[in-house]
Amino acid sequence: MSNSFHREQLCDGVHFSSVTDPKFKHNRITANLVVPLSRETVTDNAVVPFLLRKGCRSCPDFTRLNQKLYELYGASLACDVTKYGGYQSLDLSIYGIDDRFTLGGEEMVRPCAQLLTDILLDPAFVDGVFPEKDVELERQQIIDVLESQINDKRFYAMSRCQSIMCEGEKIAIEKYGYIEDANKITPASAAEAYRRILRSAQIELIFVGCGNPDTAKEIFRQAFSSAERAPVPMEPVQTRTKAEKVNEVTEQLDVAQSKLVMGFRTGEIGSDLKKLAAMRVMVALYGGTPNSRLFVYVREKQSLCYYCSARLNRLTGLMFVDSGVEKANKQKAYDEIMNQFRVMQRGEFTDDEIIATKLLLQTSLNAVGDSLGAIDDWYMTQIMTGKVCSPEEESAMIEAVTREEIIAAANQITLDTVYFLTGKEAE
Amino acid sequence: MEKTTIHSERLGIEVFRIKHDSGLTMLLCPMKGFSTAYAAFTTKLGSVDTRFKTQDDADFVDVPEGVAHFLEHKMFENEEGDAFARYAKTGASANAFTSFDRTSYLFACTDRFSESLEILLDFVRRPYFTKESVQKEQGIIGQEIRMYDDSGDWRVMFNLLGALYHNHPVRIDIAGTVESIAQIDHELLYRCHRTFYNLNNMVLCVAGNFTVEQVLEVAGRVLKPDAKPVEIERGKVSEPDSICQPLVEQKLSVATPLFHFGFKGVSTGEAGNLKNQILDEMLCDLIAGEASPLYRRLYDAGIINATFGTEVMTGRDYMCAIFSGESREPEKVAEQIKEEVAALKRDGIDRERFELIRRATYGRYIGLYSRTEPVAGLMCAAHFAGIDDIFSLLDVIANATLEQMEERLRIAFDPEKSALSIVRPQDGETGGTEG
Repeated sequence: MSNSFHREQLCDGVHFSSVTDPKFKHNRITANLVVPLSRETVTDNAVVPFLLRKGCRSCPDFTRLNQKLYELYGASLACDVTKYGGYQSLDLSIYGIDDRFTLGGEEMVRPCAQLLTDILLDPAFVDGVFPEKDVELERQQIIDVLESQINDKRFYAMSRCQSIMCEGEKIAIEKYGYIEDANKITPASAAEAYRRILRSAQIELIFVGCGNPDTAKEIFRQAFSSAERAPVPMEPVQTRTKAEKVNEVTEQLDVAQSKLVMGFRTGEIGSDLKKLAAMRVMVALYGGTPNSRLFVYVREKQSLCYYCSARLNRLTGLMFVDSGVEKANKQKAYDEIMNQFRVMQRGEFTDDEIIATKLLLQTSLNAVGDSLGAIDDWYMTQIMTGKVCSPEEESAMIEAVTREEIIAAANQITLDTVYFLTGKEAE
Repeated sequence: MEKTTIHSERLGIEVFRIKHDSGLTMLLCPMKGFSTAYAAFTTKLGSVDTRFKTQDDADFVDVPEGVAHFLEHKMFENEEGDAFARYAKTGASANAFTSFDRTSYLFACTDRFSESLEILLDFVRRPYFTKESVQKEQGIIGQEIRMYDDSGDWRVMFNLLGALYHNHPVRIDIAGTVESIAQIDHELLYRCHRTFYNLNNMVLCVAGNFTVEQVLEVAGRVLKPDAKPVEIERGKVSEPDSICQPLVEQKLSVATPLFHFGFKGVSTGEAGNLKNQILDEMLCDLIAGEASPLYRRLYDAGIINATFGTEVMTGRDYMCAIFSGESREPEKVAEQIKEEVAALKRDGIDRERFELIRRATYGRYIGLYSRTEPVAGLMCAAHFAGIDDIFSLLDVIANATLEQMEERLRIAFDPEKSALSIVRPQDGETGGTEG
């Protein structure tokens, strides 16, 4: 029998959630430290999880820490930065096999939770700051990440479009920060960021797996009992819900295949889960599945793009259409993408398309429960939207969406920005 | 119909192996508690199959590079429309891929499993190609090839394979080239389909939320036995033991130089390669894994970053070990890996480190047996390699010895047979932090 989502407060601004199911063979414990995005602190914050991942007082050295993980049957300790609307989340997670599958019957949940706690709360500081060598390296790593984002042209074009569209807003801030600020990271500035985060962040601890979450919970409860906390309350994301005029931007880079990205605003949804379900069906039918309008008409029937799809960010209410096109086909691709958008607004799609879209969305919702990472992501996103519903509940809401609601959703969407990334010389 | 059961006490899972009357082999692993079912219908036709003959052919036929991938794309379409449109009615999420040595059609679903399986077993068996549809696909795949030409990650790997292998088709892009796919026509596609998509040459692997009865019911209804088995003889490639060139470089739009450094191994047949792959993975981990002294030195010197990783690539008659990542000084990384290999050969492998790695590898493989997609993938890989018991791969880890590792180190990590591939930023595109 699986145990559904359960969340409780351990202390001020620290919550522990769990979902368990005996079908798994692993446990995954994640600590998400959530702070508002700000241009001033984002880069110093971004380096913190990577510095923490280098060691803690009980394992003060990167190699020894990794050897400890090998002892724990190759448990993995991962860290990253995630963006939820106007918030930056610094994530540290440990993933390992459950006690039941060790060769010698060793405990796993306890040492894994303990190690994660040590990493989070007991860093290997030297004179009150992160070790200089670590900071030097991790500063360079952040710079590398920022520079290599240019490698992934599809990602790069998407990110540029969003930055142009939301200039000056929190949601335009890049989650890893900025190169010019990364150059200024020092052991002291990183340590200051760490202390500020630990004091002010909303902390979400999530346990997913087949083991006993109480073992982990008690370790966290005890560890946080002595932490000094002054958490900043969370507020909903603010961004315009309607575009005033269409902004067109073209940039050049050395690419063989051009990228066309279009940013839309999807109107007032707020925390209305019913409206959100209708918008999800609309976006999926328009460009979110292999049977969608964009895939079938723009990519397959007219061969205008190698890829062409639409995605909705449920936290910001922004929808992006992104495509890879030949330079010469840009206008044709643009026209057909907009043509299909108007098809959606006029409701000129079939009932079969609605059924197919709902089925695919429901399949992916039903599949969430089969993956520890997906369960973790799902509930973290739910917590960030402020209303927690299970994948099954959302599946039921998707089922109830009507044709009229899809058309209404399409008609509250407005095109804001058209971004075109193209080659330097003629192709 | 023959049915055998393979059981793992340790993992609490069972795999049923069925030789169906239609000629098709099925490997079925129902997994309790899961919502998803994952099914893959696979043939042993990949990009390396550029030369083959059947029992009825007098001579070998040479086919253009990229034909397996092209065929995969074309299978989704027939007189009645495309297969995605049919899956749309069941909610399954469907896809296909072509690798070096196989073509796989797959779907994942949470409901209406039987209906989706029926679509899968039907469309893959019903080719429909016309002159026009082949021409149109040449345009689509041409675009795909161009996209990969831009990708630093993709180029750096194929450049390495090109440096390690003189003649073996593993050195060629899976999708072929714009020129090679221009030579493909519908008759060739039919010929490849008749040969490789004969049920006796295919395998159906299913894992997750389904029952064996469901599969048998659908298979009994949909699969029409082929008139006779097609026996395939694959053209042998004469590939020297030596590498082709020790260094290959290309300039592309990347921020930091990318590198792939590889050792060309010795193939000992499919089953041997699959088992040796695990041992060689353990060796890669020993040489440069995150808990190794070398990793630490490279990381501290700032010449590798978190993108650094290792992999062992094996197939039916090739295998190589690859160390890859981003680096400002790739030559230095390659040099230090070679030095570490030499030191391990000279001083022997530390028993304690070996035990740690064995434990970590065991944990990692437990992970593969816990999710539907890797279970289906393992069943398919084991089947094509001629290994009946998929759980025996765990035994390879449990029974690995230090002596075995030292032997593999000598055979599979020969610095004379190593090559380095680098993709560098184009002039004027490097970041300001170079140095």
